[in-house]
Amino acid sequence: MLNLILKRLALAVPTILILIVCSFLLMHAAPGGPFTAERALTPEILANLEAKYGLDQPIYKQILIYIRNIVFDFDFGPSFIYKDRTVNEVLAQGFPITLTYGSIAFFFAVTIGVSLGVTAAIYQNSLLDYFAVGITIGAQVLPNFVMAPILVLVFTLLLGWLPGGGWDYSDPSYLIMPVIALATSFMASIARITRSSMLEVMNANHIRTARSKGLPTYHIVLRHALKPAMLPVISYLGPTFVTMITGSVVVDMFFSTGGMGLFFVNAALNRDYSVMMGITILVGILTIFFNLVVDLLYAWIDPKIRF
Amino acid sequence: MSLLEVENLSVKFKTNDGIVSAVNDVSFSMDAGKTLAIVGESGSGKSQTAFSILGLLAPNGLSTGSVKFDGQEILNAPLKELNKVRAEEIAIVFQDPMTSLNPYMRVSEQMAEVLIHHQGISKAEAFNQSVAMLDAVKIPDAKRRARLYPHEFSGGMRQRVMIAMSLLCRPKLLIADEPTTALDVTVQAQIMDLFSDIQKEFGMGVILITHDLGVVAGFCEDVLVLYGGRVMEQGPVDPVFENPSHPYTQGLLRAIPRIDQKSDVLDTIPGTPPNMLLPPKGCPFVARCKHADDICGDQLPDLCELTAGRLRACHQPMEKLV
Repeated sequence: MLNLILKRLALAVPTILILIVCSFLLMHAAPGGPFTAERALTPEILANLEAKYGLDQPIYKQILIYIRNIVFDFDFGPSFIYKDRTVNEVLAQGFPITLTYGSIAFFFAVTIGVSLGVTAAIYQNSLLDYFAVGITIGAQVLPNFVMAPILVLVFTLLLGWLPGGGWDYSDPSYLIMPVIALATSFMASIARITRSSMLEVMNANHIRTARSKGLPTYHIVLRHALKPAMLPVISYLGPTFVTMITGSVVVDMFFSTGGMGLFFVNAALNRDYSVMMGITILVGILTIFFNLVVDLLYAWIDPKIRF
Repeated sequence: MSLLEVENLSVKFKTNDGIVSAVNDVSFSMDAGKTLAIVGESGSGKSQTAFSILGLLAPNGLSTGSVKFDGQEILNAPLKELNKVRAEEIAIVFQDPMTSLNPYMRVSEQMAEVLIHHQGISKAEAFNQSVAMLDAVKIPDAKRRARLYPHEFSGGMRQRVMIAMSLLCRPKLLIADEPTTALDVTVQAQIMDLFSDIQKEFGMGVILITHDLGVVAGFCEDVLVLYGGRVMEQGPVDPVFENPSHPYTQGLLRAIPRIDQKSDVLDTIPGTPPNMLLPPKGCPFVARCKHADDICGDQLPDLCELTAGRLRACHQPMEKLV
């Protein structure tokens, strides 16, 4: 087990390096740059700016300098667009916000999704099943950019219960709508995967054995069926968790939460190279880490998997 | 009173292609401590007969008729009642020990939960009894092995675990659904020996579902021959095997290779079993029977008494079948 963790962590280093190099090259290959504007700058000013940010160097040198700064100073560089802030500062502001509403949304998506899926599977083809499947389909076909304005319309404008946007760590009412908007479609996917996986497990031979032993249904579901049925769900949850805690543009935009999702899209649109790289690396590291967590959970569930 | 009384048991499955009649009008009874074999080829309804007794049919399956255990009707009984019969009164050993044990639980947990649930004893006591039962089915080093997972056992050992698990509550009836089909030949013999030993030791009734007639001859007192979900012939093993009264039984017996007779070609029954989506109007065996005539295709033969204790469902007189 420890062996696997160490091996994976060691492998993560070259993976991240490859990620850095590829995204760096791709980013620079895209037309335009951070200083491209509608009103073109004079060549002298542009040259000065590029020299200041090191953009006049050959690309391999830029990559090396970038990596060196990260490794030795943990410095992801200054933002090209937010002139007074570094990438570290941008992430330090945006990531905790998306992490907060993302993990809360994740929690609800998983608990509600799994319960809906399990219920639907156990009462397959009953009214309860149709009801659960109906909710799931509804939640899935309603995109969050439709959902978000509807939520604002109902809860802010019509009822006046919740603030229409903004962010305050000490006031949970700012959380509610972002969480709902983010969680809904993930909840639906989780419910669907859980339902089909649970149906499959409930038809397995070892469940028939459990039934033949005269065990009550709740015991069969909880002790015998849930663990194996969770395997496909867990492999979906790993990358999903990363997606959710790194934020959603739609949520950040509609609710002005100030989270990382909007920063990322703006960075891409404005060629804010350093912010883009910073967020890409963060997402990369999180993805590697949570894939490892998924593998460890697999081993915990399935005794046949041993490292 | 008989231990198990099955009357006009039918099992149907709703599928996308139509209704499959897997078991049709099967009746039999058995006394406590007896051994009954249910034989027939794949798809003849053997396993579904057994599953319906314990209410273990797939969700699209529907059983009708009557199954009385100790005088109590258990067919389609409410789950609560059924759960008291399962494992406590009637236990079942499945065909495939590779998939029938829960791969995610330790063997001791899977066994102990039966005792904890049915007898309400403590975890530690249930563990000890489980180990004792593993010992009884001759699993060496049972105490240590009880803590292992099923994949850490060989096929034969897993089937021993299944058998030990089925015996925990000392059921009055054990249904063994092709318990040796998934095992290799030497292990098959060991498992059948084990069945024979425990049957004597526990004095329980055994229904053995199999297509291995050799095993039937060695182990069972009575035999029920199924074909196309119907009873073709029924009676004590020895007379039935010595003097089969149904062309299907005759065919089955002829298809056993014999070491004492020199022969180049193995006898088979030509043709394939009927499609149970569209069961034939007459005798289900008509298409493969060399004695069949017009009446066989038109009319379902009744199950009639041949001699005391022997039943057969065939239009043709015994003399014609030789």
